[in-house]
Amino acid sequence: MAESERPLRRSVLLLGTLVEIAAEGPSRSILEDAFVAACAELARIHRRLSGHDRASELSRVNALAASEPQPISDDLRRVLSCALDIAERSRGAFDPTVGAQVAALGFLPLQAAAPGRASWRDVELTGQTVRYAKPLVLDFGGIAKGYAVDCAIEALRANGASAGRVNAGGDLRVFGARSEPVHIRTGGPQGAVFPLVHLAEGAVATSAYGGQRRRRDRRWASPLVDPRLRLPVLSTRTASVIAPTCMVADALTKVVALLGRGARGVLRAYGADAVVLSPARGWWRCTRLDGTMVAAA
Amino acid sequence: MRHEWLIPAAATLLAPVCDVTYAAVYFTTEAAQRAAFPDATAFEEVLIAPEVKSAISRDAGRFTVEPRIWRVRAGDSSIGWFMLDEVIGKVELITYGLALDTNGAVKSLEVLAYRESHGDAIRLPAWRAQFVGKRPDDPVRLDADIRNISGATLSCRHVTEGVHRLLLIYAKVLAHG
Repeated sequence: MAESERPLRRSVLLLGTLVEIAAEGPSRSILEDAFVAACAELARIHRRLSGHDRASELSRVNALAASEPQPISDDLRRVLSCALDIAERSRGAFDPTVGAQVAALGFLPLQAAAPGRASWRDVELTGQTVRYAKPLVLDFGGIAKGYAVDCAIEALRANGASAGRVNAGGDLRVFGARSEPVHIRTGGPQGAVFPLVHLAEGAVATSAYGGQRRRRDRRWASPLVDPRLRLPVLSTRTASVIAPTCMVADALTKVVALLGRGARGVLRAYGADAVVLSPARGWWRCTRLDGTMVAAA
Repeated sequence: MRHEWLIPAAATLLAPVCDVTYAAVYFTTEAAQRAAFPDATAFEEVLIAPEVKSAISRDAGRFTVEPRIWRVRAGDSSIGWFMLDEVIGKVELITYGLALDTNGAVKSLEVLAYRESHGDAIRLPAWRAQFVGKRPDDPVRLDADIRNISGATLSCRHVTEGVHRLLLIYAKVLAHG
């Protein structure tokens, strides 16, 4: 392989995780520029949408949107409108306002006092502004990470890469002519790994539960909170979703983890597919929820 | 969306796949130095006194390995520092390079390599076997074998702690000359 055709493959710490970026293209210098552009996208979205960063746009909106409508960037508007759409279609099984409960259980840094009963229905998104009808804390978590992966993939493409892959700690998306094998890791202290899919164009995200439960106030807690009950669910399921974009894939893992087969309608609406793995006496029970039948090209 | 499932459609029982480990080498030290400082003409290794390192270890946690530090020069002038360190996470070993400018501000941080293992000595030969016949300095040869794993969220906490320790070395020693 000539030096100029070598794929570029780097790993950087961004979005609070290890992000691996791989790209192929006509020349090394094009790939270097594409890599820098992809990193800039990840950093920009982290600055805007991180709930952990008090200077982020999201933190500003969380602090002020209950008192008056806040102007928002295109990035925040896109992620919020996607989140509200999935919340509506899943009848609240996905809810971007559940972060405060997850934080209260000790799985996320606490940003603000856990507010009372507010839900996604209390978020009013109008054009370029957002207002909270009740005090609440929006936390996009993995879906902002998925959106960042989508933007980084677009940056690779726009800067001349012919194929690429961005993997942000397990939220990954690929494009290009060749398909890539993707494996899935289940939850639990010794997560089992299975071959999942050959992916040429699209995104995969996984929510693996089972390894992260802990005792809190003499009760078991897990980071999977059912937004409809505002209580943690002790699931041992691992849900992987394949979708056209990483943002949608990540959000739908929560819907699949909570609804199981009941998630099929929502999956179909987004052209997504899912697999659920649950432990069964040393083996793993695997259920594919075919929301759509997309043949491999 | 173009994909082909490797998992059967109907409900099925799958046996767990054991001994899955993966590793990736992105950069040699020299390549990482060049990427961080394209204008450099020389990298001079600097040795840090053991007392400094043990003082930092008391405050900020132990070093996993001896960090290596280079003064970066372009001609006669010093243009920054390059530091190489390794940290152990719950399931991974991460080698990373930290580039600092002359004022000690982080210029870039890149991962040179990470190797995942479950810390289980029995599995180590299986992990090493991945490298048989491969040149570790050739990322292309490795690339075809590396699995994309969804659901493997890697913790970066240990890297953050490692960077904190390296910045203390800068503050205690390098900033003064």
